[in-house]
Amino acid sequence: MTAPRLLHSLLDEAAEATPGRTALETATDSVTYGALATASRNAAHLLRTAGVRRGDRVVISSPDAITVTVAVHAASRAGAMFSVLHEQVRERPLEHVLTDCEPAVLVTDDPGVSATATAHGVRVLGSREVREAPGPREGAGPSLPAPLAVDAVCLIYTSGTTSLPKAVVCTHQQMLFAVHAIQDRLAYRADDVVYSPLPLSFDYGLYQVFLTFLAGARLRAGSVAETGPPLLRSLETSGATVLASVPSVSDRLAWLVRRARNRPRLRLLTNTGAALADTTIATLREAMPTLSVQLMYGLTECKRATIMPPDGDLRRPGSSGTALPGTEVFTIGDDGARLGPGEIGQFVVRGPHVMAGYWRRPELTAERFHLREGLFPELRTGDYGRLDEDGYLYFSGRRDDLYKERGFRVSATEVEAAARRVEGVASAAVLPPGPENGGTAVLAVVGDLAPSEVLDRMRGLIEEYKIPRRCVPVPELPVNTNGKTDRRALTALIHDAAHS
Amino acid sequence: MSMSRADVTAALESALSEVLDRKVTGLTGETRLFDDLHLDSTTMLETLMHLEDSLGLEVDPEELEADDFETVDTFTDFALAQLAGERAA
Repeated sequence: MTAPRLLHSLLDEAAEATPGRTALETATDSVTYGALATASRNAAHLLRTAGVRRGDRVVISSPDAITVTVAVHAASRAGAMFSVLHEQVRERPLEHVLTDCEPAVLVTDDPGVSATATAHGVRVLGSREVREAPGPREGAGPSLPAPLAVDAVCLIYTSGTTSLPKAVVCTHQQMLFAVHAIQDRLAYRADDVVYSPLPLSFDYGLYQVFLTFLAGARLRAGSVAETGPPLLRSLETSGATVLASVPSVSDRLAWLVRRARNRPRLRLLTNTGAALADTTIATLREAMPTLSVQLMYGLTECKRATIMPPDGDLRRPGSSGTALPGTEVFTIGDDGARLGPGEIGQFVVRGPHVMAGYWRRPELTAERFHLREGLFPELRTGDYGRLDEDGYLYFSGRRDDLYKERGFRVSATEVEAAARRVEGVASAAVLPPGPENGGTAVLAVVGDLAPSEVLDRMRGLIEEYKIPRRCVPVPELPVNTNGKTDRRALTALIHDAAHS
Repeated sequence: MSMSRADVTAALESALSEVLDRKVTGLTGETRLFDDLHLDSTTMLETLMHLEDSLGLEVDPEELEADDFETVDTFTDFALAQLAGERAA
């Protein structure tokens, strides 16, 4: 019997096939598949020496994508679970993570992060130590353990309806299935340069590593500085053919590309995180006629639920595609019974990509990772919408995006989409009724139109009762690190404007 | 009339105040745009768009480099060079 495939098998297979090919590059550095495989193997021995045992946690906080990638694969080889944190996770939020997962080691060069870790009794390793770990001496030290495919390898902290972030636990085989299923739809090629402006702490950013390695392609990790105004130039100089995007990045690219003389050679843009504005997609298509766009829907708990065929949005506007191969998505009513096509309900996902559950949160796990008949896992996403006759998913909102106004159930996502269709509205967000806004929904818009004009023009685009009564112009919509609208910051922005 | 470094800094402070929705003053040449002011890639582009209006600047998206957006000094050099280039053209 052959050894089980594990998460780091993706790297090892690529390193065996094309050891000299560049696997990963940043603005200033690059590493080949062969060198990355060796460095991560050596770093795995370093983790063992530092006391990391099978099942232990390794937390990683570094702006350097190569350090993170070495540490991730080292943890996988050492039978440990890795968790990549955003560099802005520090102080209290970092203490929460350290208390929650009790890591054996934290990899960082940041003095503040390092001090917090030390105060919690966590051993700190620097990026140089990890990247340049010497190989183990012949016959010396303990050998690496042999993890099982059902062992956990990754914790991804997400915020949700709970007040503190919780970690989604992912096993080797769950992640491998997700990577293969996504690649089946996106079809990255060996000659692709995949440009990722997303931090590796963001799960779609992290998966770019595994998707790229499975394809034997090259990943270019873009920094925050490179993906602002210089984004277009950064895409050009890196020779990017694929852009792993979120709406805020795509909006920036659309603004830049309208002015450019030369167009980037992108062949594929994927979108996740939230709905992409129709106007943004149209601008990108016009500027880059050979570009394909693939819209997607998913959540960390199963990584990815649906993907559109390339340019499928032209035929089925508003859809996020069909379930990944070997998985299914359906809707259920409030009683848990399965609904039919066209009926709005909660999305439920089944398949080998449904992750293990939440770290040390048995009640929340039982609720979200429901066991039908007490046996069969199904992920109750908390997201709502419908599927059409052909299984195409139409997202209408998070449960917490749904609100009642004037007796009607309204989806904030749907209202925002309607507002964005008004010419002159660049972006829009809805604040559901609450004590902060006098019990009525508020529509915040970025654009040149007068607020009353925006509301007027929404008539016809959406049912009358769904149109908020109040509309407030804002200079910009505050976004969180995942590129989603930060509703709390937006509430503060509107509230402050009204009282200053 | 030519633009001075102080003019660019003042315009930058006013653009940042708009974008970040808080008063930004007392910038020095060494102030780092991302690390000290906590700009991200979205707010950096918005700041640039504000400055295009206030300084009468039109940037070429293919000539923007990450190094130009590191500190107040590097950005001022960039803005002055762009303005000089536009007059020459």
